[in-house]
Amino acid sequence: MTTVTTPAPVGGAERSPNRNRPGEKKRRTLVALARSAPLLPAVLLLAVFLFGPVVSSLYGSLTNASLSGSTATNVEFVGVKNYVDLFSDPDFPKAVLLTVVFLVASAILGQNVVGLGLSVLMQSANGVVRGVVRTIVVTAWVLPEIVASFAAYAFFHDGGTLNEMLGVFGIQGPNWLYTFPMFAVILANVWRGTAFSMLVYTAALNDVPPEITEAAEVDGATGWQRFRLVTVPMIRRSISTNLMLTTLQTLSVFALIFVMTGGGPGTDSTTLPLLAYQEAFKFGELGFGTAIATILLLVGALFSVFYIRALKPEVD
Amino acid sequence: MTAPVLEKPPSRAAEAGSRLSMASPNRRMMKGLSNGVIAIVGFAFLLPMVWLVLASVDTSATLSVKWPETFSLDNFTAILTPERSLIPLLNSTLLSGGCAILTVVASLLAAYPLSRYKMRVNKPFLYGVLFGTCLPITAMMVPVYSLFVAFNLIDSVGGTILFLAATSLPMAIWMMKNFMDSVPVSLEEAAWTDGASAMTTLRTIVVPLMRPGIGVVFIFVFIQTWGNFFIPFVLLLSPDKQPAAVSIFSFFGQYGAVAYGQLAAFSLLYSVPVLALYVLVTRLGGGSFALAGAVKG
Amino acid sequence: MKRYLGIAAAVATTALVLSGCSGGGGESDGTTIKVAYSKFGNFTQMDDHMKAVKEQYEAANEGMTVELVPIEALEADYFTKLALMNQSAATAPDVMYEDTFKVKSDAEAGYILPLDEYIDEWDDWEQFPDNAREAGAGDDGKIYGVPMGTDTRAIWYNKQLLADAGLTVPWEPKSWQDILDAAEAVKQKNPETIPFNIYSGKGQSEGASMQGFQMLLSGTEDTLYNSDEKKWVTGSQGFIDSLQFITDVYQGDLGPTPQQALDKNVGTTINSEWIPQNKLAMSLDGSWVSGTWLETGTTPWPEWNDVMGVAAMPTQDGQGAGRTSMSGGWTLAMGAKTKNADAAWDFIETALDKDNSLDYDVAASQIAVRTDVGTDPAYIESNPTFEFFSELVKDTHFRPATSDYSKISNEITVAMEAVMTGQQTPEEAAKAYDTAITGIVGDDNVTTKSD
Repeated sequence: MTTVTTPAPVGGAERSPNRNRPGEKKRRTLVALARSAPLLPAVLLLAVFLFGPVVSSLYGSLTNASLSGSTATNVEFVGVKNYVDLFSDPDFPKAVLLTVVFLVASAILGQNVVGLGLSVLMQSANGVVRGVVRTIVVTAWVLPEIVASFAAYAFFHDGGTLNEMLGVFGIQGPNWLYTFPMFAVILANVWRGTAFSMLVYTAALNDVPPEITEAAEVDGATGWQRFRLVTVPMIRRSISTNLMLTTLQTLSVFALIFVMTGGGPGTDSTTLPLLAYQEAFKFGELGFGTAIATILLLVGALFSVFYIRALKPEVD
Repeated sequence: MTAPVLEKPPSRAAEAGSRLSMASPNRRMMKGLSNGVIAIVGFAFLLPMVWLVLASVDTSATLSVKWPETFSLDNFTAILTPERSLIPLLNSTLLSGGCAILTVVASLLAAYPLSRYKMRVNKPFLYGVLFGTCLPITAMMVPVYSLFVAFNLIDSVGGTILFLAATSLPMAIWMMKNFMDSVPVSLEEAAWTDGASAMTTLRTIVVPLMRPGIGVVFIFVFIQTWGNFFIPFVLLLSPDKQPAAVSIFSFFGQYGAVAYGQLAAFSLLYSVPVLALYVLVTRLGGGSFALAGAVKG
Repeated sequence: MKRYLGIAAAVATTALVLSGCSGGGGESDGTTIKVAYSKFGNFTQMDDHMKAVKEQYEAANEGMTVELVPIEALEADYFTKLALMNQSAATAPDVMYEDTFKVKSDAEAGYILPLDEYIDEWDDWEQFPDNAREAGAGDDGKIYGVPMGTDTRAIWYNKQLLADAGLTVPWEPKSWQDILDAAEAVKQKNPETIPFNIYSGKGQSEGASMQGFQMLLSGTEDTLYNSDEKKWVTGSQGFIDSLQFITDVYQGDLGPTPQQALDKNVGTTINSEWIPQNKLAMSLDGSWVSGTWLETGTTPWPEWNDVMGVAAMPTQDGQGAGRTSMSGGWTLAMGAKTKNADAAWDFIETALDKDNSLDYDVAASQIAVRTDVGTDPAYIESNPTFEFFSELVKDTHFRPATSDYSKISNEITVAMEAVMTGQQTPEEAAKAYDTAITGIVGDDNVTTKSD
């Protein structure tokens, strides 16, 4: 009945009774190959189109390649010079700080908290209200980036919607984009991306069996305690993964900030992607720009390691 | 038994909650408060879009939000020419649709071994591939461009679709794998003992149960690709192959002057297809759209 | 799994190797000329022009085809796309629309060819004044681009607002002080009106550097760059004086608030809101501004020519020619990877003969570079302010657009922003600038002597 050629259940071949037979290793390799075959199209696409360019551009950060000028055709290997220059650039530490602030405030605190809050509240809300609000929130996410960026710009602009509304209450709003640029772009990014977190957490909360929370309530736990001690640990894995995904997405936000403030005033809202744009685009310094992008990657990796360690999503 | 579904209509938790609410005024207050807070949040999210709508019907629109002196649809008629909006939107659909289909197929196939066979390389592969896409395309443009020139794929819509799919794969594989994890292997095991191959069970058992999840991945990739400017800009030369994300810049005049009314009108036009798709997938999925099971890690 | 890793690695290596060698073998076999240029927004004039020239060229040259490649993008993206195209023989254009700003660095990169041997035989070259010829010159002195048209800058002013403030109209300031006095007068008369606009700060980037700062500096005894020694100038008095003017305007409440000026999109606000609504009395801006107010512009304003006057920007104390201006502009250049240089030159020659230049300049609101076009009645009558702006060409200056220029220009805007917000004095900002540019180009490439 059980023949050798059917796909074995998860657990692999380590426990196969034929472990030590001659030719077993070869058979196992062949089986492993056959099982991995479906991965081929994806791996092929990734290897050809992504792997090569990624490696090539990581290498590029060690050169002085540029789009124009003499170093466009005579590219020289400069080792870690780009990184050294980067660390001694006075704009760099500020850019790192702003990036981290942007990340923590808009992704970690903003999108995740608002998303989680919304999905919790929606559980006990009226169906119509829930549907309408969900659609509105998702619309902000679905709008193409350049459109959303302009809408946000027009909102925070001196004569824009926000100040007009404040004016109705007699409050003279400041020029948000000039006086509080980070505040404006953080709010705009929360507006843009909350939908994703909201949807993830709605699904996660739905999978929490109500019996456990009810039992806790019967035992006298308050709403907040129930949430903190029962619900959150149960959706821990989703929190961790969502944090990671929103972090990675937020780290590369560029157009939103660029359209709203251009990185200004001065460098007050120049996060790392904007710094990379300035170097790679405006000045055509590809090598330098790529070095900045690599640093961005490292920041993302660091945060992710932190999430995984802190939330231990593997252990359930 | 926990098959992946798009959000189950008011979950049992909510049912329990509302049952209790009939019983206690506290609960009713909670419900009222929830409704109130959510409504406020919804209103806040709606505000920035006000300018878009107002500016699109205003022929002398500026960045300041104002009630138009004369409501007119001139902006829309001005942009509804084949060259300015119809062809770019068609191109966008082609690129996004092609990319989404290819990505869904490739990620579905790839997710199967990752989900069913616990191999040691699973986690490193997933994480590694996810990080690789962190590197912004602007940093990679020169090697990508040279690669495409070498393959003679510059100015090829097919080539661009291939590249777009490659960049969407990591997230797609991740999401697909998680959706697939919620389809119990036990369902397939029965078929295996009857002699079916893995591909057969994938096709006949797993995929039908994963349909909502596949829809989610499709629409996610579609939306991301719909707004992608840089990749089509770099890889396509002919203006009649450019998607709307690139041609939107045709509303920016020389020396920086922007035709805001037309820009707003075009933006609305540009956003409608993805919104419609979202609504469509939600309806087909039988309930509101939720990333159920997509993100578990 | 190992085997798969192996295969993946092999494929990736192949990809890397292939990406190293640029395929070559493009379709151009010498009978097709590829022409790349910019097209976006309501800037379709280049497209129309190229289509017309294509017809003329193909008619005059049997067997030759012209392939037009319009690039739909704004400036920075256009430069990037063009650079990418230029890097591979398969996609490199034979003729391209090249900003004067990029000529030197693209020549250095080997993207474009010197045209001297063709120009020496071209009679029409006589029509190009000396300083305009410089616009298309590389660092080695050879000509790489033939100018299509240019732009100049001057002071646009609201005749009524100035008359109300007691100034004689037509207004002709003779020195920087005259401007400041006029601004004071306007402010006295009506504190609500913004007296004078000069672009400044990092957010305006090249606009601030060129329309703002260099309009001032070029009217002093000092320069930005010493072209004889090929070195950048530091520590000049003219630099400090120019910064002082900015301080006087912004810290003296004679201009927009720093907040308003630093808004990225303030240019649009100024030309489509403040000026037509009579909220701004004077603005240092370019010859193209009236394009916004035409029927075909983004903010049509039929009365613009009655309301607005133009005055040349004076030099600091009225010395020298008494007036100054800055010019940019675009050229047509020849791609270095062309397979048929002669044919490419024929195309350029056709595109820029008198009639075609005239048509293009009029259609695109460009200031004529060719003297014969500038004096042609059809040109003069096409826009009431053209004659005035063309007159400025003989006193205009071009930017020292070497490959370091964009970074240096960036430092200029940093200095401007520091003084307009009051964070630094002109002397401090000038010193910071000196240090910054020495860091960029190295000690060997700076000097204290101006041209």
